[in-house]
Amino acid sequence: MNIHAYERLWLVASMVLIVGFIVTITYGTVGLGITMVDDREETISPDDVDEDDRFQDPRVEQVGENEFEAYVVSMTFLFQPDPIEIPANNEVTFYVTSRDVIHSFTVVGTNTNTMVIPGEVSAMTVEFDEPGEYGVVCNEYCGPGHHDMEGSLIVHPEDEYSLTELSVDAPDQVGPGEDVELTISIQNGLLEDLETTVDVEVGDETLEQDVTVPGGETEQVSVTVDGDDLEPGDAEWSASVDDEVETGTVTIGDDADDGGDEP
Amino acid sequence: MTDLFVDEYPEQARLVRAAFLTSFVALGIGALFGVIQALHRTGVFRIVESTTYYTVLTGHGVFLVITFTIFFLVGLYQWAVTDSLQRGPVDARLTWSWYGLMSVGTLIAAIAILAGFLDDPPDVLGSELSADVLFTFYAPLQANPIFYAGLVLFVVGTWLAGADWFRTWWAWKRDHPGERIPLPTFMVLTTMIMWYISSIGVAVAILAFILPWSLGLIDSLNPTLTRTLFWYFGHPVVYFWLLPAYLLWYIVLPKLSGGRLFSDPLARVVFILFVLLSTPVGIHHQYLDPGISEGFKFIAMTNTMFLLLPSLLTAFTVVASMEHGARQRGGTGTLNWLRALPWKDPAFTGMALAGLVFAFGGFTGIVNAGMNINYLVHNSLWVPGHIHTQVGTAVALTFMAGSYWLVPQLTGNRLVGRQIALFQVVLWFVGIVFMTNSMYRAGLIGVPRRSAEPQYAFDYEVGVGSMTELDVQLALGGVLLFVSTVLFLAIILLTAFNTDSDPLVDGTIPPALSGPEDSPRVLDDLRVWIGIALVLVVIAYAIPLASIVDRGGLFGPDVGPFPVVVDGVMYLQHGVAYVGVLIT
Amino acid sequence: MDDSGISTEISHDEFDPIGTLALIALYFVVLTLMWLFTYFVEFVGNAPTPTVLL
Ligand code: HEM
Ligand SMILES: [Cu+2]
Ligand SMILES: [Cu+2]
Repeated sequence: MNIHAYERLWLVASMVLIVGFIVTITYGTVGLGITMVDDREETISPDDVDEDDRFQDPRVEQVGENEFEAYVVSMTFLFQPDPIEIPANNEVTFYVTSRDVIHSFTVVGTNTNTMVIPGEVSAMTVEFDEPGEYGVVCNEYCGPGHHDMEGSLIVHPEDEYSLTELSVDAPDQVGPGEDVELTISIQNGLLEDLETTVDVEVGDETLEQDVTVPGGETEQVSVTVDGDDLEPGDAEWSASVDDEVETGTVTIGDDADDGGDEP
Repeated sequence: MTDLFVDEYPEQARLVRAAFLTSFVALGIGALFGVIQALHRTGVFRIVESTTYYTVLTGHGVFLVITFTIFFLVGLYQWAVTDSLQRGPVDARLTWSWYGLMSVGTLIAAIAILAGFLDDPPDVLGSELSADVLFTFYAPLQANPIFYAGLVLFVVGTWLAGADWFRTWWAWKRDHPGERIPLPTFMVLTTMIMWYISSIGVAVAILAFILPWSLGLIDSLNPTLTRTLFWYFGHPVVYFWLLPAYLLWYIVLPKLSGGRLFSDPLARVVFILFVLLSTPVGIHHQYLDPGISEGFKFIAMTNTMFLLLPSLLTAFTVVASMEHGARQRGGTGTLNWLRALPWKDPAFTGMALAGLVFAFGGFTGIVNAGMNINYLVHNSLWVPGHIHTQVGTAVALTFMAGSYWLVPQLTGNRLVGRQIALFQVVLWFVGIVFMTNSMYRAGLIGVPRRSAEPQYAFDYEVGVGSMTELDVQLALGGVLLFVSTVLFLAIILLTAFNTDSDPLVDGTIPPALSGPEDSPRVLDDLRVWIGIALVLVVIAYAIPLASIVDRGGLFGPDVGPFPVVVDGVMYLQHGVAYVGVLIT
Repeated sequence: MDDSGISTEISHDEFDPIGTLALIALYFVVLTLMWLFTYFVEFVGNAPTPTVLL
């Protein structure tokens, strides 16, 4: 075949370009460790999402030192959980599935981006270095409300991050002069021990108590406020640990005093 | 000057005119929808409800990349085969029946789409008449069955068109034993081989799964499987849009430049490479899909990169042909010859600008093809940026420019308003620069595509410029493109009625500088290339498809349908119900 | 068209597409630079990216 010398030259240059592109991408995989979303996860029927250990309660969990997992469900037209809260400088693996149609899970302004296909679970391991609030959007058309499908991802500084859950057992009503006793359960979702302080307020009284909750466990703390220190009537109470707060009201004295607040 | 095409082949000219008419009607509607989207997305002006935006977007996609491009293709190819073999089809009834089938198919699909604008669409075949599923119709989003049926008819029509051209060629071969296939016909036949191999994918997806499922005959399907079959077809289809533009660049552009095609043999090699490599690459649209292993994605990536080769070779041959023309017109110097090109000719200028845009768009295509870098751009506005530089300009602007040269030969009428035509192609170029500049940059900061209101609670981090500036550019570019389309349609319409004028067109195509005699005959042995192409397809797809079916089952893990209804109430109920389940 | 304006016939052997070579060489350079920028600045700078942490 009769090919002009310049064209031969260009043919060689073209091959150099092509091989150069392939080499760059291979370097991304091998050198930078970038992995593609792939078939490493088992399939899951969209009907079984509610029975699945990971997805029936979409959440973030700590699974190892500096390792977290986030189980995320996409559906028309929202993400769960919302917001998703994770620590900075830790490996977080997102597992995302869909209940209905094809969506995406895309953290705007980052390369954390995957299609979400019903029947499949997308898995991505990332580490966010910069704390802040990121937008999460669906960038695959999923129906008339597609543009409303938005979530958020909050990346907390590592030392401010907790997976603490609080629940409080408090009376609705006590007799005049009786003590008010609050039982506070603190669940520590992190693997490390949680050393913290429980702050309790009932009416104008404030109390503090130090507590250590071992990793992955729940501790109960009881706090008693002397009934004589409280005014009759409705008293607001609150219990807080770090950023978690629970509040309620307790009625002191006869319920005839004030508006009926019986449950 | 030889006889005009319309005088030599009046029957064929009629068919080409009919095909162009359908194509240009679709272009008009598509452009109207395009400008509606450009203004809506950016919040400049919202004439439809945001839920109806997706009806508009479905129409834009289907009318432009199915109707406009493919009807132009069949018209152009009918011209190319007739003109280069110097004979009509064996049986004109077949020719008109494929045109009829394609038209009926388009009409049915269009009715299903446009019904989305009704407040209360009628029920047809047991479900509401609508098709707000975009041109990719990813299951489990579901359209009315007639939408899929229309698409099938359309595709069968194109298959018959290919059969018609093959038949014409066989008849010609009997009369011309031992002759090389004329280059335009060679391009037509190779394009159609690629199309046959690739459109099987979408045919299987629709006929075996989506259509029966939309009719309620089967109640579940495997979304990864139908999606993979779609993209098996979805990448080659972009070459189905592009190759007619290549035909014009190889056959007509050198002539318009005042020169001759630089190399006929390389043109053949290029088209053969497209036959071989267009199909085993479709998985590059699924880099971010779960359920497909990284190995398959890597193979698709390397194949795709090699698919760059024919386009890079084309760049050389086409530019060299232009340079040849310029030098014959007295051009000198290393680059000064560029000035000697016929820049006042809208047909030339349109194609040259289209080629320039294509060279840039080629770069963005490399980025899309780059596997891991796909995390950056996947489904962001970058992708419509790429779409509009490639099919939306390299192809569309070449078609418009080519029409300025062809339509006079098809009608016997002189082109009306050559100056305005020149303005029109330049206006398109300016419009596309604004619109895609905005789309590419917005895509890089994460603005999603396919969204009626890409304005969220968070702010995008715009590095250079501002969101307002990006929005203004997109809206402005869209308006310029729309105006340019209207001008084009007006010029063509006036030309069609500009009877009793002289066309002033010379339809002869000069022979290539290096002719087919410089290339081995095996290039024309189409069976060899079909064989190799099929082997490559099997290598690239057999294992991925087997693995997808093995994972999710042929009919999927119980994935029910989600008909897209305009008001979205159903979705809301759906969502609320699940939230309810979770709370309790 | 009417302004084909061909003044000299240039045959295959006389034609030296040096201008094309220059343009295509420029294209080569532009492609390489844009690729490196897009990959290493835009993409790698858009962290975090899904990885196997090494
Ligand atoms: C008047 C000129 C045009 C304007 C103003 C325009 C505008 C737009 C806009 C704004 C989008 C993005 C919509 C979104 O993602 O939300 C879009 C998408 C698209 N356009 Fe155009 N466009 C024009 C012409 C064309 C042409 C000529 C073609 C092809 C021949 C084309 C093919 C497409 C395709 C395939 C999409 C993607 C559709 C999808 O995501 O489903 N457009 N267009
Ligand atoms: Cu969506
Ligand atoms: Cu592709």
